[in-house]
Amino acid sequence: MDRRDFLKGTAMTAATLAASRLAYGQERAAAEPASGDGVQWNKAPCRFCGTGCHVQVGVRGGKVVVIAGDQKAPVNKGLLCVKGYHVGLALYGGDRLTTPLLRKGDNQVPISWDEALDIIARRVLKDPKGFGVYGSGQWTIPEGYTASKFVKGGLGTHQLDANARLCMASAVTGFLATYGVDEPAGCYDDLDACDVLIMWGNNPAEMHPVLFSRVIDRRSRGEKVTLIDIGTRKTRTSGFCDHSLRFKPNTDLAIACGIAHLLVENGTYDKAFIEANCAFRAPSTPPTLEGKAITFEEYRELLKPYTPEKVEEISGVSAKDLRMLAGLFGRRDVRITSLWCMGMNQHTRGTAINNLVHGLHLLSGHFGKPGDAPTSLTGQPSACGTVREVGTLAHALPGGRVVAKAEHRAQMEEIWNLPKGRVSDKIGYHTVEMWKRFSTPTEQGGDIHTLWVQVTNPAQTLPNTHKLVDPSRKLADKFLIVSDVYPSATTRIADLVLPSAMWVEKNGMVGNSERRTQQWFKMVNPPGQARDDAWQLIAVAHRLFELGFEGMKDKDGRFLFEVKGRDGKPVPIWDFAHYYDVNVDEHLFEEYRKTTRIKHKDLAPYQEYVKARGLRWPVVQQPDGSWRETRFRFAGFDDPYVKKGRDIQFYHSTTHDDRAQIWFSPYEPPPESPDTEFPFWLCTGRVIEHWHSGTMTTRIPQLRRAMPQAYVEMNSADARRLGVSNGEQVTVETRRGKLDLPVWIGGRGEPVEGSLFVPFFDERLLINGLTLDEHDPFSKQPDYKKCAARVRRRERVAEKQG
Amino acid sequence: MPISSLVLTLDASPQLRALALSEVARDPRITVGPPLEERWLPVVTETASLSEGESLAASLRELPGVSFVDVVRVDFSEEER
Repeated sequence: MDRRDFLKGTAMTAATLAASRLAYGQERAAAEPASGDGVQWNKAPCRFCGTGCHVQVGVRGGKVVVIAGDQKAPVNKGLLCVKGYHVGLALYGGDRLTTPLLRKGDNQVPISWDEALDIIARRVLKDPKGFGVYGSGQWTIPEGYTASKFVKGGLGTHQLDANARLCMASAVTGFLATYGVDEPAGCYDDLDACDVLIMWGNNPAEMHPVLFSRVIDRRSRGEKVTLIDIGTRKTRTSGFCDHSLRFKPNTDLAIACGIAHLLVENGTYDKAFIEANCAFRAPSTPPTLEGKAITFEEYRELLKPYTPEKVEEISGVSAKDLRMLAGLFGRRDVRITSLWCMGMNQHTRGTAINNLVHGLHLLSGHFGKPGDAPTSLTGQPSACGTVREVGTLAHALPGGRVVAKAEHRAQMEEIWNLPKGRVSDKIGYHTVEMWKRFSTPTEQGGDIHTLWVQVTNPAQTLPNTHKLVDPSRKLADKFLIVSDVYPSATTRIADLVLPSAMWVEKNGMVGNSERRTQQWFKMVNPPGQARDDAWQLIAVAHRLFELGFEGMKDKDGRFLFEVKGRDGKPVPIWDFAHYYDVNVDEHLFEEYRKTTRIKHKDLAPYQEYVKARGLRWPVVQQPDGSWRETRFRFAGFDDPYVKKGRDIQFYHSTTHDDRAQIWFSPYEPPPESPDTEFPFWLCTGRVIEHWHSGTMTTRIPQLRRAMPQAYVEMNSADARRLGVSNGEQVTVETRRGKLDLPVWIGGRGEPVEGSLFVPFFDERLLINGLTLDEHDPFSKQPDYKKCAARVRRRERVAEKQG
Repeated sequence: MPISSLVLTLDASPQLRALALSEVARDPRITVGPPLEERWLPVVTETASLSEGESLAASLRELPGVSFVDVVRVDFSEEER
């Protein structure tokens, strides 16, 4: 057998194994990829979205050369999406950043790491209170924990936030307001058990294709699964659905209230479930996340205006379809899973719509059984595991703690061995506020003088960038530090650029959408002088320690990030030559793990994750010493923290009585709507080929060729009215800016009449210069999905406007 | 010569399935494995470049009788840069 025959043989084995899983829909004895041809295999979660697929990474000669779906991974069972099977190529774009770069005039010139560390330390010493760190859900768990300890324990501030504020914050506030604790109760197993899958403003066929194919495969095997798409735009998902309902932007609240109204009026709500497990709440004055308690009768009264006919008038969804939805929720003989992602979260009423959808599931008892679950999906590999669980946010502390509680601050001081009072009681700035202050002159209240950005690209992804980002570049005393792997819209405007290691060039741990914590080991070296993001933070912390900065010492005078080797002596991990002398990730994780019990988010020891393809928390040790994960939280049959004998127990209830809250929130118009001057709705979003701002995926030739540039999707009726044809360049304009884009009509997606869709992956066409920075009052998450726009044909200036 | 593992989910209609199978079998770049339950077809593709592999996978997605294409594994060790 020659090498090619061997490769083809192993490739066929992999395909046959995957086919058998699809055909029989069950676990089969999984084969490890064959380790022939000099290829060494190891496991890692995919670098891209929040699904948490596992890949097998094949390395030969110090380079990743093969990617295979991991047959042993419960999440993806050996399958990958178009981004996943190209993930190895993301390491090898031709323009990786390999050396620190310092801005000198119009140029960025190479400098040493030593100089770079000095520069950052000096920026901290200028005024630690004005030094902010801005990260993302792409931080690994140890990286996020390092950032949190650096800012909250070291600098003694909370000027730390992450881009998950822009994508998941309203999901968080929805979970907190409803259950008193963050993250979904269900898991992906619900997709295997549901009879009805409702996707609220969600396009999993493109954004979470491996999860979506799990449901489509069930259909292929002859199972009946009813798919319902509720959105403002026809997508690839719509094509698979039994019911595809189009609503006017922002009116999803009316739809949810309309379904609740019908359940109550028809008496088809689950009386026993709500009597045992729920209470009712409505918005309070002033508005708070706790709201005010109301009775069932008051709830019923508040819903009365939301008749099917009234909701049809508001939303455009027919009364017949509303009755169909209410009819399904009213049935006890079907299992219903709801999925949502950015459509519901990037919303000025994001918390409210999240609460309402949870409320529908609670009101109808479609909760706590496999297949009955309200589940938010995430867009980043560790939005959950890092940002939400480690708490890399301006108001949060690790393990579900909050800055506002003195007891929580004291707990962190104890864990970090800090003097009393080191962890500040002053909440930091949320993302939009942080950048606003960075872009405001110091003398006018712009009290953030330096921002250190890691693993994100805010010059492309923040909303209304002309207001939040651009002004900072004209202010002499504002300093922008960016750690990244490739040049990006943000590195290009930075004062200091730091080259980072990515994915399997370093150890890592992440947490996906179903509470699954995953681990991988470094497999190849990063290029040039690129280094781990956690190391960068630790090295700066040590430079500050050397300079006598008290914050980087614990109460015994030891370095905040001290790691001891087997001989009991500190290992100089701040020197990159020694960073891998020990497993720093393991040390950081074991310290972080101590924080996870308070909210019953228990994590297992690091070594358990080395053995597994992830474990879903809470992970609880059994009498025989083994570690057991939890699939269904709050459900007596599976959750170890539910009292024996109870079916359901919401043990983090905001009312401390084991009850979840069913909220009423009214429909309200959005802050900006189309008018005669700007007659279109503008919605932004993603495409299957590219991951978020495209920093990695545009370096993969196959993906770049498949989707080379951004475009504006337009409804065919609008295009006809404007006399615009497919491919024609138009100018899309809002009150914040304008952009020239080619039109795509009748492509993979079609917005409803009077609305536009533009993807945000293209750094040459920065659509977020046009979007709104208005945000949800509770989560502070901006609304990228709805603002007023107009369209003009480019070549004829006098052309009538849309 | 990148080698990729794919699974084709074939249509429920026997006529369309037969059509898809004969189309796939005709392509010299594709090695066909044994179909499972007549609906799930493991295949291995061997192409001159990754982009050709990508185009081939895309054309399989469009083939009448193929309702889904899952990619399982891609070897890009010989991809020219």
